[in-house]
Amino acid sequence: MKTLIIETVNSQILGELTTVSRLFSPLCDVIVLGEGELSGTYEKAFRVADTLGTNICIELTDLIKKEGYEVIILSSTAIGSGLAGLLAVGLEAPVLTEVTAISSDLIIEQSIYGSKAVAYYKMDSRPLILTIKRKYFEAAELGGATETVDIPVATQKIILLEEIEEERTGIPLEDADVIVTGGRGVGSKENFSILGELAELLVGAVGASRGAIDEGWMPPNAQIGQTGKTVSPGVYFAVGVSGASQHLAGISNAKCVVAINKDDEANIFKRARFGIISDYKKAVPAIINALREIG
Amino acid sequence: MHIVVLAKVVPDYEIPSSDFKLVENRAHAKYKRMIGLYDENAIEVGVQLKEKYAADLTIVSYGSSGDVQFLRKGVAMGADKIVLIEGTSDDPYTTAVNLQKGIETLGEIDVILAGRQSSDMDRGIVPGLLAGLMKYAFVPQICALENEGGGWKVTQITETGLRLMKVTGRAVFSVTSIPENKPRIPAVRAIFSAKKKPVEKLSEKEEPLTNISEISVSIPLVESVCEFIPTEAIDETARILLSRLKEERYL
Repeated sequence: MKTLIIETVNSQILGELTTVSRLFSPLCDVIVLGEGELSGTYEKAFRVADTLGTNICIELTDLIKKEGYEVIILSSTAIGSGLAGLLAVGLEAPVLTEVTAISSDLIIEQSIYGSKAVAYYKMDSRPLILTIKRKYFEAAELGGATETVDIPVATQKIILLEEIEEERTGIPLEDADVIVTGGRGVGSKENFSILGELAELLVGAVGASRGAIDEGWMPPNAQIGQTGKTVSPGVYFAVGVSGASQHLAGISNAKCVVAINKDDEANIFKRARFGIISDYKKAVPAIINALREIG
Repeated sequence: MHIVVLAKVVPDYEIPSSDFKLVENRAHAKYKRMIGLYDENAIEVGVQLKEKYAADLTIVSYGSSGDVQFLRKGVAMGADKIVLIEGTSDDPYTTAVNLQKGIETLGEIDVILAGRQSSDMDRGIVPGLLAGLMKYAFVPQICALENEGGGWKVTQITETGLRLMKVTGRAVFSVTSIPENKPRIPAVRAIFSAKKKPVEKLSEKEEPLTNISEISVSIPLVESVCEFIPTEAIDETARILLSRLKEERYL
């Protein structure tokens, strides 16, 4: 099947989308959005300088029609989500978003009901547009390089004024082998400092549930869960986290979950390997002390 | 200025996984219903814009007749009226086409807000489809917006930070949650007066479904046996935990 990836030069995301594309075709084409050096070997590579779906959808629709792509693969990121619906209308094509798995017989999986259920689909017509959820497919190695052909864009309904990268101190959540996450049960922004202390001792990172983010206790990019980051640490400390299915969706790849919660009926214990039913204000300092004792 | 907020009534999204049941591939009808999680953030943003710009604010929904009682919460929060297009399809195209039908009865619209994704199907695709159908600009995952010189200055939350943009013309924005758009709790008086606000019901426009077959829906099995560590002496609890993590080679 003639397959197209549309993504920025981010090699991690491109790698994940390349893994998906190989289920449909051994070698695909790519439209790279924005600037930067493109890694990987593709049949054809195009480049659009803009990354905003509204500005580029007409040109991309025309190109997809001209080249006759049957499967169009994007990521479930702000960029991919900004483009998928507009392309679907332009191409009169079905679209499946937030795809988490595709079997060898091309049955496509998508989580629904806050990841409490999984729906399975098969494609009945082409072209088909897919947006792929981050971290659910192993990133392919992107060897080689491919020259890109520029695609000019005629209109600019949206002007990008500024792009502000999050301040990163320490290990990024996506790469952390230990994550200490706080939920609403942590109670305040100040109380997150003790979680930071534990994370630092374990050379890990601090995350937050959506509830804690909504309270303003941590920045939005620290959110773990269905609409936040998907993480895959060796150990995941869930502190004062209730364990809503939407949060658990982001930690499905965590090897070991340690739940600390004073509510013995909290749902997080159903996902945990180890549980401590206690006020975290007692348990976390005790773990910190024990770690210091060990040295 | 006329602002539209899209809202969908969904089964209780806080039901724990262990209690969740499916009937004919959809959530059991026994769960209480409510406006979707992010849709409430979008309504809050709409109400803040209404207050700032003295705008009209309409909630447009595609769903069943019984959804009106739940959508009234949005009116109690500050919306002026509800337009409900009656239908039961889960198909995103059908939903978008019918929302467009409802919106087009309202005359000139300046901006359409939606939650970043519904709390049942979790697709986040309907706002983009609607923007495509209406030939509006579209920006997903915004957390702030203000009217500036006839256009919109918006802030989008991305995976790596923020993007500030200027959008000209009419637009659809999907809203993500931040502390500043935490849904307000309506006053009792507002809840009562919401019952008197107008509700316009429209019949569904029948559209061919998206050409994708849903084969099945299942509830994934999560097998995890939690080992509870005794907490009589918390220092000992911590030592046991670390020891167990090391024994099992997690640390």
